[in-house]
Amino acid sequence: MKKLLTAVVSLGLVVGTASATDVEADRKAFVGHFNSMFPNVEFADYTNGVYALDEGSREQFEEILDGIPPYEEAVEKGAAEFEKYNLAKCDALKDPAAARVAHPYYDEKAGTVVTLEGTIRKCYTEQTGKKMAPMKGKIARISSWISDQAAGEKINVKVESEGAKAAYEKGKAFFFAKRGQFNMSCADCHVYNSGKKARADILSPALGHTTHVPMYRAKWGGIGTLHRRYGGCLKNMRAKPLMAQSEEFRNMEFYHQAMSNGLEITADRYRK
Amino acid sequence: MKKMLLTTFAVFSLAAQADYLGSSHNWNDGSSDPYKAAIAAAESDHAKALAASMAWRDTGAMIKEAKKLKAAGKKDAALAMAKKAHMQAVNALAQAAVAGSAGPRF
Repeated sequence: MKKLLTAVVSLGLVVGTASATDVEADRKAFVGHFNSMFPNVEFADYTNGVYALDEGSREQFEEILDGIPPYEEAVEKGAAEFEKYNLAKCDALKDPAAARVAHPYYDEKAGTVVTLEGTIRKCYTEQTGKKMAPMKGKIARISSWISDQAAGEKINVKVESEGAKAAYEKGKAFFFAKRGQFNMSCADCHVYNSGKKARADILSPALGHTTHVPMYRAKWGGIGTLHRRYGGCLKNMRAKPLMAQSEEFRNMEFYHQAMSNGLEITADRYRK
Repeated sequence: MKKMLLTTFAVFSLAAQADYLGSSHNWNDGSSDPYKAAIAAAESDHAKALAASMAWRDTGAMIKEAKKLKAAGKKDAALAMAKKAHMQAVNALAQAAVAGSAGPRF
């Protein structure tokens, strides 16, 4: 009886929390926070990440884009790989631009968040019988090319069902939870202290982070997925990084992308 | 006189017992070995932190290092490292306890 009561109360708490979820209110508060921090930055400019905040960095960024961006060849290779592995044969990737906009989403049947990279990996396995590494290489190249097809379209993550709301709330808690030896959260750097310096680097704003993923990072010397970056951030906090495409990271991406709803997806994926 | 006799008897009994046990007897059954206790606690709490996806980056390596030091006979350093690893795991679990309810400050 006691166990039954505990289960009922726990379920009530979960459902209660999910029901109280208001993604649009969260997003407005999120955008409002950045507006109050950077009143001169236009909402649309957050697609440029840290380059929206710092003039000097922006000049360098624009110079790089004016030349041949270092990721161009990799993205072209991604296009060829998309063809080579017959990824268009999978329904979810038939229309690449639509696929980018449709992800991440909550799969009601599977009861889980599905990311674009998750769909690419699944399709690749169906077509080739092989597995695809989740952080860099093929996955990042193909995902970049798919995202390029959606450049100019707006991020529009939908969080509607109770299951989706529960996943969103978990992702949100992950984003704000302090972890690791430095007792820091993702938000500590990219919300509360964005625009400030951490050693030689300016901390980028979380608003707009997901508009230019996968990203080319000069530090990596190549393209990597959003989950690769999540892992790197956890490591910097001295927390043990989780696996790319783990449930925790997928939930966080769900929240993270939803906070950038309304911002344009961009093909300018260079970051320092 | 009676007290004196009792004390003498007690000392004699203990000395005799100690003799019979021989020099190879291990007086510690494990529970009182500070290294064993520290490394067991570190491993147990680190496993809980891993299960909660809240483990710290270096705890696993510290546990390995403590074991290496112990094997090399560096008892004090091994104990210190095991305690350090345990402290990390305890702090990770403290973070895990409140992580689920974290949210924005605005």
